[in-house]
Amino acid sequence: MHAYAIQFDEPVPYQRGLDIQHRLLAARQADEIPDTVLILQHTPVITLGNRGRDNYLLKTPEEYKALGIEVFHAERGGDVTYHAPGQWVLYPIIYLGGSGADSHSYLHNLEEVALRTLADFGVEGFRREGKNGAWTEQGKVAAIGFRLKKWVAFHGMSFNVNLDLSGFKTIVPCGLVGQPVASLSTALGDECSPMEAVRDRLLANFSEVCKRELEIFQSLEKSPEELRKIIFSS
Amino acid sequence: MAVPNDLYYAKTHEWLRMDDGTATVGITDFAQGQLSDITFVELPDVGREVEAGDEIAVVESVKAASDIYAPVAGTITAVNGDLEDSPELINDRPYEDGWLFKIELRKEEDVDNLMGAEEYIELCAD
Repeated sequence: MHAYAIQFDEPVPYQRGLDIQHRLLAARQADEIPDTVLILQHTPVITLGNRGRDNYLLKTPEEYKALGIEVFHAERGGDVTYHAPGQWVLYPIIYLGGSGADSHSYLHNLEEVALRTLADFGVEGFRREGKNGAWTEQGKVAAIGFRLKKWVAFHGMSFNVNLDLSGFKTIVPCGLVGQPVASLSTALGDECSPMEAVRDRLLANFSEVCKRELEIFQSLEKSPEELRKIIFSS
Repeated sequence: MAVPNDLYYAKTHEWLRMDDGTATVGITDFAQGQLSDITFVELPDVGREVEAGDEIAVVESVKAASDIYAPVAGTITAVNGDLEDSPELINDRPYEDGWLFKIELRKEEDVDNLMGAEEYIELCAD
């Protein structure tokens, strides 16, 4: 199945990413566009999922502000997580209501994308029973949380590449007490692959696992007019 | 994927079992499989008037949240209280103990807008 992917070079504020997702979601529900994957980095932000509770936040609103970290209540599944530059966020706006041929759940598929990407860089990743996401010996590298509206999924997965992990110390990630968070850098020592190489592997693995042929655009501006019209209209 | 023959189906993956003007509604085997292990269900209030297509419930699994739509217009007459403690019933027995709510149809002929099992299977195989 043909799909679009849009890359963002500059970190995107969370609210802006949300707005783009909502616009694409409505267009995808109306079948005006194919499945579309956004791959971007966020400016520092903590987001709480539907089940995310405020007591997973370890700082006061003022302290977060001083640290330059925004806090959002997101409408996705999952608990609390942290995004910042050095982490890829994959937001597939993808219709899941008609893919009966795939026996695996979307959650399983997103985990698979993360695990294959780790393997591409020589890192052994694994699933943990009862705990979602992708893990390495050093800790959790990929976090997943999404929402379906009319069976179109949005939100998705974050994958830690080389970000400063100290932001995670200000929350209880995914509500899992005492569970370490790691990145590809942590797993590889200092020899972390560049962000672009990881992005390319994430998209390639998504394409293979989710069976979507991705037409990749290097920026919003370079994306097809049908998408630009939706995203830039007032 | 189980798709019982005696039910009606909505495009948004709800099923309906008709009984004397009232429909019992749940989500299909396909739907529960896509959502994986369901951990929480938010159900509508009994007595609520709904239109077809209204978002009236939310089903959450460990990492996903999905809106559930009213497949027909009418009044909510019951909700499945067992799901509060045992949301996994939706995964285990989606067409029986895992039902979500009952709707008394405003117009019984509205079920004619829904799909039969064969048509629904085609939708899932798209």
